[in-house]
Amino acid sequence: MKRLFAAALAAVSVLGLAGCAPSDTDGDFVVYVGRSETLIQPLIDQYFAETGVEVQVRYAGSAELAAQILEEGDNSPADVFMAQDAGALGAVSKAGYLRELDADLLNLIDPEYRAADGTWMGVSGRVRVLIYNPERVTELPSSVLDLAGPEWKGRVGIAPTNASFQAFVTALRLIEGDDVALEWLEAMKENGVLYEKNSAIVEAVESGQVDAGLINHYYWYAKGNEVGFENLNSEIAAFESQDVGNLRNVAGVGILSEDSRAKAFVEFLLSETAQQYFVTETSEYPLIEDLDPLPGLTPLDEIPAPEFDLNDLEALEETLQLIRAAGLI
Amino acid sequence: MSLLALSGITKNFGEGNVLKGISISVEENELVAILGSSGAGKSTLLRLIAGFEKPDQGQIEFDGAEVAGEQFVPAEKRKIGIVPQDGALFPHLNVYDNIGFGIAKDPNRASRIQQLLVLTELEGLEKRKPQELSGGQMQRVALARALAPRPKLVLLDEPFSALDAELRDRLRNDVRRIIRAEGVSAILVTHDQEEALSLADRVAVLREGRIIQVGTPTEIYNSPADIGIATFLGDSVLIDGKVVDGKVATDLGKLTALNHVSEGDSGVVAIRSENFYLQPNPSGDSEVVGRVFFGHDAVVEVKTPTLRIKARSNGPFAPEVGMRVTVWVRGAVNFYPSK
Amino acid sequence: MRKPPVLTVVLGVFAALLAIAPLGYLVLRLLEGFEVAATELSRPRTFELLGNTVLLVVSVSLTALVVGVVQAWFVVRTNLNYPGFYAVVATVPLAIPSYVLALGYSSIFPWFSGFWASWLVLSMATAPYVFLAVSASLLRVDIAAEEVGRSLGYSRLQVFLKITWPQIRTSATAAVLLVALYVLSEFGAIALLRFDTFTRAIYNAYRSSFDRTAAASLAIVLVGLTLTILLLERRYRGDYLLQRPANSRRLRQELGRMQTPVTLLLALFGLLGAGLPMAAIINWTLVGSSSTDFGNLLVATLTSVGIATLAAALVSIFALAVAIWVVLHKTRFGGFIEGLLWSNHALPALVVGLALVFFGANVTPWIYQSIWLLMIAYLILFLPNGLAAMSTPLAQVPKGLTEVSQSLGESYRKTLSKVILPIASPGLIAASALVMLTVLKELPATLLLRPTGAETLATRMWSATEELAYAQAAPFALVLVIIAGLPALALNASVRKTYSEVNDA
Repeated sequence: MKRLFAAALAAVSVLGLAGCAPSDTDGDFVVYVGRSETLIQPLIDQYFAETGVEVQVRYAGSAELAAQILEEGDNSPADVFMAQDAGALGAVSKAGYLRELDADLLNLIDPEYRAADGTWMGVSGRVRVLIYNPERVTELPSSVLDLAGPEWKGRVGIAPTNASFQAFVTALRLIEGDDVALEWLEAMKENGVLYEKNSAIVEAVESGQVDAGLINHYYWYAKGNEVGFENLNSEIAAFESQDVGNLRNVAGVGILSEDSRAKAFVEFLLSETAQQYFVTETSEYPLIEDLDPLPGLTPLDEIPAPEFDLNDLEALEETLQLIRAAGLI
Repeated sequence: MSLLALSGITKNFGEGNVLKGISISVEENELVAILGSSGAGKSTLLRLIAGFEKPDQGQIEFDGAEVAGEQFVPAEKRKIGIVPQDGALFPHLNVYDNIGFGIAKDPNRASRIQQLLVLTELEGLEKRKPQELSGGQMQRVALARALAPRPKLVLLDEPFSALDAELRDRLRNDVRRIIRAEGVSAILVTHDQEEALSLADRVAVLREGRIIQVGTPTEIYNSPADIGIATFLGDSVLIDGKVVDGKVATDLGKLTALNHVSEGDSGVVAIRSENFYLQPNPSGDSEVVGRVFFGHDAVVEVKTPTLRIKARSNGPFAPEVGMRVTVWVRGAVNFYPSK
Repeated sequence: MRKPPVLTVVLGVFAALLAIAPLGYLVLRLLEGFEVAATELSRPRTFELLGNTVLLVVSVSLTALVVGVVQAWFVVRTNLNYPGFYAVVATVPLAIPSYVLALGYSSIFPWFSGFWASWLVLSMATAPYVFLAVSASLLRVDIAAEEVGRSLGYSRLQVFLKITWPQIRTSATAAVLLVALYVLSEFGAIALLRFDTFTRAIYNAYRSSFDRTAAASLAIVLVGLTLTILLLERRYRGDYLLQRPANSRRLRQELGRMQTPVTLLLALFGLLGAGLPMAAIINWTLVGSSSTDFGNLLVATLTSVGIATLAAALVSIFALAVAIWVVLHKTRFGGFIEGLLWSNHALPALVVGLALVFFGANVTPWIYQSIWLLMIAYLILFLPNGLAAMSTPLAQVPKGLTEVSQSLGESYRKTLSKVILPIASPGLIAASALVMLTVLKELPATLLLRPTGAETLATRMWSATEELAYAQAAPFALVLVIIAGLPALALNASVRKTYSEVNDA
């Protein structure tokens, strides 16, 4: 009995002590990653292999992690935040939790793909596309807004909890106005089939659950690389020129702490190795100047995307409210 | 015509037990006891009559119609009342609703229940739940419940077995009175020969799936059809004997047989313990070696030169241990020749 | 009565404080963000969720009731061939976490989602609770009374409704309320099948609002629903239990020509509740075996087992302390603490997880995202189970032995450690094992609170399903069922009791 109580006491005291390890300087190096583990973990492993620096990664949705950082405030254990889109970064930056990045880092990429105040920067580029099953969709919609039509009822896969979709909605809001956006979202409550992730939408179109879907381009390439492009049941397409459905966005990164490992990690993400990884392994667009995207991909600056400042994506909170108002989440 | 008639009923009831060609009838206003030890098939027979099971072969007629045989009438259509072993009252209903359960749609429900409450002496207990009743009360509720829809036949499945001796006696009389008052026929299933003999108009002895003997209690008691019944119904002493000159010669002398005997047969006689008379006799050839005193009577163990017998004797006059006696057999005996 | 050992009281009070702190904090947060909460709660969406949740709870409860009663009746009361086998079939869904059931189904039928899908999966997952409760009470219903009913002119159906049902109603009601609680707190399966109930909405609100007051206010509504049902359940639990022992007579309804259809029906339930989804999981595991990352699988298994073992140890220590206090000393304060802990058993894990995220991030940042915050969640969630499981073996130690030991001059403390605990130890060990297996299957709290970088079988499976990567998810699900589900089923006391009673009856 005594031993049992001793064990209990020991457990309780460990419970108290274990928390005392501070997490912002000399403790764990923590990165919040709002992207798919499948895509990012190999890169993290490579970083560890090259530098010996251990990275504790927390994977979740970008918006979720942004919200979590806001909740945690100064208590956040995160040193670096890698997000799937500029909006989540912008929102955290707006709340003042991101530190300004060094100019030598910022200057590695085009100013279009980084924060005006230098608190975050893009790491890789991506575009929104329509994925569709050509057997079921013979006439492609000219605008993403057309998907609100009654003929699309129950046919379109969307991922409203996903940051890329949310960023697109922010753009939709800012370009077309809140009313149009809300109307479109409400229509999508009828027309849309909801998934958690872009990759799930690809699976759904491939297996015939839905006829079309809104995704980031590279998920389709990932599926093609996995099963062979000749075996795909789906294709991707852009909407008409300047359509908000063709939004160009970046996955980016921001630093929350003074930890020196943070800057080194961001440097790594912008190194040729990492950028090449994004090109060959994830079929994304590199953002540093000397690298070209995969052959076959329309170059990023030739995408028929709408004119849109990625800094404006920081209005994520209003977007989330709108998506929730439409009942999609 | 009989109220109930079973003919050639055969039923396999598991693990090698079979009812083999049971035929028996019950008349209006008759109380028939089916007597048998456990495993003899009594309960199965009752369940066949009630309609809970179908016979493998044979026919049952009840109230002028076939209820099993070519066609089958299920229990709920037979209108035969049953009183299970431990009463099996509905635990969620009080006494009143238990009794009234089978006459829910009867316009005279209330007065009928009242009548039965009086008859079964349960007035004042209407609101009690079964858990709050004594064993005897439970059985009376069960009986009243079975009688409520005025069935022509009630089946009593060992209704007294869970009760203590005194209560059992009283309840037996009550049940007999109630059944008579209601003018209903009844079949009582029991393993207790005293119960069968004291209550029934007729007794049927069931053994190993067959009815061995049917008759009035006196017939059964006085003329058991075989040694088995003889020993089953009260204490009997079995003594070897041989038919000589129309009488049975035994170690206790020449005895008169009740049944027909053939000259030269040998077999056993069954002598009931109360049929011995122990005459105190200092020069007698037998000695009292044991005595169990019950008050009104006593069982005395006697050693004769060749036998050891147990005799039932008038209590206060029973001989003491160590006394010498002469053993006499009173009246006639049953002789069972060996095959 | 002797005073309880100080340590048991200290541990008990500590556990109780842990148990109420996060929920209290949740309420505090709500009051702070009152306006946001009010807006959130008056949204039409909230009422839609309420409607969906109630619809699902009611339909699943009724279906589980019907399925469980049908299974129990045929297994216990008819001459069904191999009733023992069908008793196993009826309980085996207990071995499968409902999110694994959901995964199994949606991996076969891509369109499997929404209300009907959630209804089917949850009905099958919860029917065993009804089966266990109802078969236990059916075994105690006097068959002779039912026969009397028939002799009084009632058909079999009428007899069932008027005589049998009133006697099993209490236990069936209690089981149905348990089912309702289960459905209310269910997260994994519902989220996987994309039906919008409170839990899914709370999770989504948590993930996609910067002001998490919205999630908190939905969570409070859910807790309100839960407490309502809990109060109802308390009224029924243990009330009017038929004490009569199982029928000694083997009286079973002849199925006759119905034998085959009934067998097919029970087999169909088994197929829906376990066979089909598990076949899918096994199939996907085999299909994907060439690309399975066994390293990941092994790490996740070890992480799961490690976390669950630690949790079981902690829960056991606290549960034992409280059980000693409550069972052996019966003080009023102890009873109060027990009641407080017990009321947590219905708290949705998602809400506990959510409350602790808030609590951890703001009040106790030093254990935030450490394993200890997760342990606190497990302590809150599983202490009631542990307490119930530990109280029984302690209560079964004959009082006389304690007195004899003390009359032989042993101190109370020694009596406790040398007599009571050794005698109770097999039961106590089984109880800890059961807690450990339950922790292994936990998803929502683990998802929200796991330390950064730690992935369990459940969370691995979860993230694979979010990408509809069935071949990737299946092996995690399969290992989970094998190392947690099946042993838990084997250890479950009421399952074992039912098996033996069905075979004896």
